[in-house]
Amino acid sequence: MLVQSIITNGLAVGAVYALIGITYNVMFSASRVFSFTAGSVGMLGGVFGAILIGQMGMPVIVGFLLTLLLGAILGIVIEFVTVRPVLKSLDQHLYVLSTLAAALMIQQLTAIYFSTDAVPFPRVVPIESGFLDQKIWLPILACVGTIVGLEYLFRHTLVGRAFLAISEDNYAARALGLPEQRLRMTSFALAGMIGVLAGFSSGQLMFASLANGPLLNFYGFVPVALGGMGSNRGAVIGGLLLGLFQQTANYFFGGVFSSVAVFVVFIIALLVRPEGLAGAATARRV
Amino acid sequence: MRITRRKALTGSAAAAATIATGIYKPAIANTDPIQIGYLPAFTGPSSSTGIGIGRGTQLAVDEINAAGGIKGRKIELVMRDTQSEPTKAVNAAVELTRRHKVSAIWGPLNSGETAAAIGNIARENVPMVHPCWVDVLIDVKKYPMAFRNAPSNQQIGGAANHYVVNVLKAKKVAVISDTTGYGTASVDAYVPMLKKLNADVVYSGSVDANNPDLKPELLRMQSGGAEAIMPWSVNAGFLARIINTRAELNWDVPIVGQTTLGSGQTKSLLAKPEYWEKVYPNNFRNVCYDANGKLPPQTAEFVERLKKAKVDYSDTLMWWIACGYDGPRLIVEAMREGGTSAADMTAYLNTKVTAWKGIYGTIAFSAENHNGFLDEGVIMAQANSLKDGAFKLAPGYA
Amino acid sequence: MLLESKKTGVGTGRFEAWLPVLLLALVGASLPLWGDSFFGLVATRVCIYWVLVAGLNLVVGFAGQLAIGWVSLLTIGAYTASALAAGRVTPEIPTFFALGAAGLLGAVFGLIAGLPALRLRTFYFAMTTLGLSTIVTQIALAWKSVTGGGVGIPGPSMPVPLDSPWGFYFFCLVLALFVTWMTCNISASRYGRSLVAIRDAEVAAEAVGIYKPRLLMAVFLFSGALAGFAGGLFASLQSYITPDAFTFDLSVLFFIAILIGGRGSILGPMIGTAILTILPDFAAPLVQWSTFLYAVLLLAIVLLVPGGIADLLDFKNRRPLDKHREIRPRPELLGQILTAPRKSELRLQNIVLSFGGVRAVDGVDLEIHTGEVHGLIGPNGSGKTTTLNVISGYYTPQEGTVSQDGVDFTKEGPHTRAAHHIARTFQTPRLIGESSVLENVMIGGNIDASGTFVESLLALPRHWRDEAHLRENAMAALTIVGLERLAGVRADRLQHSELRFVEIARALMMKPAFLLLDEPAAGLSVDEIKRLGALVTAISKQGTGVLLVEHHADLIFDICDRVTVLNLGKVLASGKPDEVRTHREVVNAYLGA
Repeated sequence: MLVQSIITNGLAVGAVYALIGITYNVMFSASRVFSFTAGSVGMLGGVFGAILIGQMGMPVIVGFLLTLLLGAILGIVIEFVTVRPVLKSLDQHLYVLSTLAAALMIQQLTAIYFSTDAVPFPRVVPIESGFLDQKIWLPILACVGTIVGLEYLFRHTLVGRAFLAISEDNYAARALGLPEQRLRMTSFALAGMIGVLAGFSSGQLMFASLANGPLLNFYGFVPVALGGMGSNRGAVIGGLLLGLFQQTANYFFGGVFSSVAVFVVFIIALLVRPEGLAGAATARRV
Repeated sequence: MRITRRKALTGSAAAAATIATGIYKPAIANTDPIQIGYLPAFTGPSSSTGIGIGRGTQLAVDEINAAGGIKGRKIELVMRDTQSEPTKAVNAAVELTRRHKVSAIWGPLNSGETAAAIGNIARENVPMVHPCWVDVLIDVKKYPMAFRNAPSNQQIGGAANHYVVNVLKAKKVAVISDTTGYGTASVDAYVPMLKKLNADVVYSGSVDANNPDLKPELLRMQSGGAEAIMPWSVNAGFLARIINTRAELNWDVPIVGQTTLGSGQTKSLLAKPEYWEKVYPNNFRNVCYDANGKLPPQTAEFVERLKKAKVDYSDTLMWWIACGYDGPRLIVEAMREGGTSAADMTAYLNTKVTAWKGIYGTIAFSAENHNGFLDEGVIMAQANSLKDGAFKLAPGYA
Repeated sequence: MLLESKKTGVGTGRFEAWLPVLLLALVGASLPLWGDSFFGLVATRVCIYWVLVAGLNLVVGFAGQLAIGWVSLLTIGAYTASALAAGRVTPEIPTFFALGAAGLLGAVFGLIAGLPALRLRTFYFAMTTLGLSTIVTQIALAWKSVTGGGVGIPGPSMPVPLDSPWGFYFFCLVLALFVTWMTCNISASRYGRSLVAIRDAEVAAEAVGIYKPRLLMAVFLFSGALAGFAGGLFASLQSYITPDAFTFDLSVLFFIAILIGGRGSILGPMIGTAILTILPDFAAPLVQWSTFLYAVLLLAIVLLVPGGIADLLDFKNRRPLDKHREIRPRPELLGQILTAPRKSELRLQNIVLSFGGVRAVDGVDLEIHTGEVHGLIGPNGSGKTTTLNVISGYYTPQEGTVSQDGVDFTKEGPHTRAAHHIARTFQTPRLIGESSVLENVMIGGNIDASGTFVESLLALPRHWRDEAHLRENAMAALTIVGLERLAGVRADRLQHSELRFVEIARALMMKPAFLLLDEPAAGLSVDEIKRLGALVTAISKQGTGVLLVEHHADLIFDICDRVTVLNLGKVLASGKPDEVRTHREVVNAYLGA
C-alpha cells in the first residue's frame, strides 16, 4: 500500500511537471523563448477551475472548456505583450525580463483578487472508481492525452508540420513563406492550453493555490533543462522521474532533503552537460 | 468564512485615511487624543487573522471613545499594515515609536512580524501588548514592557496534550507538522511534553506542506498503533489533507491540534464535510458553546454588542474578535488607572492586573510573568460544531 | 587631452565617475537636518540594500548575468552574522568579526551561486539562482540548531555608539559610500569595461584577451561578499530574523532596481534602489500592489526605455553629432603606439575543419609574415572567415596546426591570442554600443595593463598608471584612424564605416604582430576604401603582418604583398598579386565571375 501510494502519487505529480515542461517546450519551439510564465499559467489552470466550477457553479465540462479558452487567450496575451516586442533584440535576452515581469504580475493579481491560501478544487468526474482516485489518474490522463494530441498534430496536420519546420529552422521556414508570426501566436495559445490543463487536472491533488506558480515553474523546468530544450520526450520522462524521486525522498528523508537533492542534481547535470542530457551541442557563431 | 483580499484592501484604505488625519495635529495639552500604535497584517498570507482581530479592535476603540475616552482624551489608533512581512513590520514599528511617539502599541498580530518588531519597540521603551503565541516573544528581561494577552505555545500544546492523554486516554500518539518554523518548533516542544505525560510518541515528523500525498505518513502512524494524531500547522491545505487521508484509510482516530483544524478554510478543502468528525482543534473556554449550546454570559452579552454595532462575525472566528477587543482595552485600562507614561503603564500591568476579565480569557500578569493568559482558558473544541464563529467544547469538558 | 572634458558614457569623465559618491554623501549626510528618525530607518535600509545592489550591479548591470535570486546571499550573510554573534556555532564573536565572517561566507556562496554562469545561458542561470534562493530558505528553516528554524534568532547588536538609530545609520551610510566608491573605481577601470564587453560583445572581448571565467569569478566573489555583509547589517537592522523576512519580493526589488536604473550605470541603480525601497513606505494605499508595480516598471523598462534611468539622465549623448563627418586617418602617427615587432611568421598547416558533413576548411596551408599584407580571397563559403576564426581560436580544427615561430597554439582558447599579439576585426563590427568610442578602444589594451582587480577596486597607484596609459594610447589610436573627435560619443551613434575604423583602432591597441581584418572595406565609400588601404599599408610598414579578407579585388591587388585564393575550403592559388591575378583557375572560379 505504501509503495503503491508513492508510485501513484509520484506519477501523478510527475505528469503535472511533464505538462509544464511541455508548456515550456511549445513556447520555446516557435519563438526560442524560455518563458517564466509557464508555472504561473499552470497555477491559473487550478484557479480558473476553482472559480468557474467551484465558486460560480458551472457544469464541469463548461468550466473545463472555458478554462482551456482562457488559457489560450492568456498564451496569446503573453506572446503579444512579452515576446513579440522583444523578439527583434533576442540577443539581449530581454525576454527573460519581460516574461519574468509577466509572471510576477500574474502571481500578484492572483494574490490580490483570488486568494493567498489554497482553495478547494471541485470533483471533476462524478463516478468514483474503486482502484485509483481521480486526483491521481486525472493528471496522468491529461499528460497522455496531451502527448497523443501533440503527436497527432505534428505528424498528421499541416499546422503541426509547419510548427516542426519553424522549430527546426526559423529563418528557413520564414523563407519558405510560412506565416511565422501567426504560428508563434498559435503555439503560445497551445502552450497556454497545455499549461492550464496541468493546473486543472491536478486541481484536486494540489488544490488551487498561489504557491503552485513558482513551484511548477521550477519543477517543470528541471525535466526540460535535463531532457534538452524542445524535447517533449525528455520532458515527460524527466518529469515522471522527478515526481517519483520526490515522493520517495519525501518519504524516506523529508522534504528539505528532496528539494536540496533535486537542486544539486539539476545544477551538476547542467554544469556537466549544459545542453541537457539528451540535447546536442550547438556550434558557436562568430 | 473565506476572507477575500478585496475586503482587506478596503480595510487598509480606510485605516490609512484615519492615519492621514491623525498625524499632524497641533499639540494642545490634555485634550489631545492619546495615540496607540496598531500593527495588524491586513494584507499578505497572515491577513485573515488580522482582519478578524481588527474588527474587535475597532469595536473596542469605538466603545472607549463613545464613553469619553481616558479622562476626556480620545483614543486614536495609528495603524500601519505590516503586510505579513517582517521587514515592513520593522519599518512600521519604528515609524510609530520614533515619528509618532505613540504611547503604547497593540500588535503586531503575527509571530513573524512581532519577532522582527519587538526588539525595536523595546529599544524605544514603548509598552506593547501582543497576542502572538511563540514563547520567546515574551521575555521580561529582554522586553520588560511587552505583555501577551493570549496563551503561549506551551499552553496551547499543553492543553492539547492534556486532552489527548488525560481525556481521550490515548497512550500512543502521533505528532505531525509542516516544515514551517511554527510547525517544526511545535513538534520539538510538544513531543517531550507528551513523554512527560507518559504518552508513547509513535510518530513524530515534519512534512512539506505542499506534499500532495500524506498517505505514507498516516500509514506509518497507523502501523505504530497511534490512538490520536496531533497536527501542528496553520496551513489549511495541509490539515485538510491529513483529515482526508484519515478518511481514505477508513481510520477513525481522533485528530487533536492546531486551531486552524477548525477553520472554515480547512472545512472547504475536505473531500466530504462529514470527514470533520472527531477533529478537535484548540480553542478558548470563554468563546465556546457549552453542552447546551450556550456561550458564557459575558460572551453572550458581547455578541449582542457585536450585533448592535453591526460587526460581522459569521465569516471569521469569535476568538479573533475577542482577542482584538481585549488588547486595546487592556492598554487603555493601564493608561486610565496607571498613567499614560511608559513606566506607569508597565507598573500597573505588572502589579494590578491579577485577574482581569477579558472576553477572550482572564489575564494575570506579574513582574516576572508577562504571559497573562490562564491555562484553564485553553481547551479543545469540536471542529464540526462551528457556528457564528464559535465552537462547542470538545467532549469531556465540564 | 583636450577632449577629456567632453567625454561621456560609463565612468570616463572624472566628475561623472564620482557623481554617485558625491550625491550619496550629500543627501546622506544632510538627512538628519531634514528628516526625522523614521526617515533615518528607511534611509538605513536604502543604504543596506544598496551595499548589496552595488555588488549585484556589477553582475547584472555590467556583466549582464541575470542573477534574479540574490536574496539567498543576503539570507546567508544575515544568518552567519547572527549565529556567530549569538554564539550558536562557536563561542560568541564580536559583531564586527561576525559581519566580516558574513562577508567571507557571502563571497564563497557568491562564487558558488555564480559558477553556473560560466557554463549556462541566461534563462538557465536565472533559474539556478532562483532555485538557490528557495533552497537557502528551506535550509534556514530546517537547520534549527544554527538558524533557530522558523522561530528565528536575534540579529547581531552593534557596539556603542553604533547602536543608536543615527549611529547605525551613519555606519551604514559610510559603508554605502565606500562601496559606491569601489564600484565606481571598477566601473572606470579596465575591469568595468571588460565586464561590459563580455555582456555586449563577448566574442570581441575574447579576442582582446579578456578571460571571462576569471573575471566573472572575481566579480561574483566581490558581489557575494557585499551581499553577505549587507545580510549582516540587515539582520542587525531587523534585530530579529526569521526565514520569512527573506522573501522573493526582496530579490525582485534588488534585481529590478538595477534594470530600472540602467545597465552599466551606478547612479541609475542607486536611484532605483532608493525609489523602490522608499516607495512602499510612502504610498500606504498602494502597499499590497508594490510587487505588481515593480513588475509593471520592469516591463515598461524592457519595452520602452531599455536604458533605464541612466539613459534618461544621459543628456550629453542627445546632443546632435555633426552630420558631415569625414574619417581622416593619420597613418604617420602610427609610430606613437606601434613599435616594430620582431620578425616572425604565423603558419597554418593542413587545417581541416568540418561542420557536420561539410568540410568548411579542407587542408589549408597559409603563411603570414610580419611586415607583409597578405590577402585572402575567395567566393562566399570558400572558408575565408572560418580560416580567420581558426587562427583566432574560435574554432579548433579537427586536423592541422596553427603556430607562431614554431609555437603551436591550435587548441588554446581565443582569449590566449592577445598574448601572441594577434589582433582582429570582425565582419560585422563587434563593439559595445552603450560605451563611448574611447572606452571601446581602451578595451583593446586589456593585456597591456598590469593592475589587479583589487588594485582597481581600491584605486591603488597601479590602477591610475594603467588608466592613464590606456587612455593616452587609445586617444593616439583614435587619432591615427581619424576618429579622435568622436572619442566621447556612444559607439551606437556612429555610422557603420566609422565602426570599422574604431575596430581597427581597438586592434592597434594590442600592438599587433599580426592583424586579421575581416572584410574591413565592406560598406565603405570609395574614398574611405582608399584611406583604409593607405592605413593598412602603413601598418604593415611598421612591421605588423596583416591578413586581409576582402571582396574588393581592387583593394587586395593594390596593397597586398601576397595573395591566397580559397575555393571550397581548399587553397586554389597562392603567390604574388600579379601571379594570382593571371592564374587561370582563379580567373575561372572567382575573378571572372
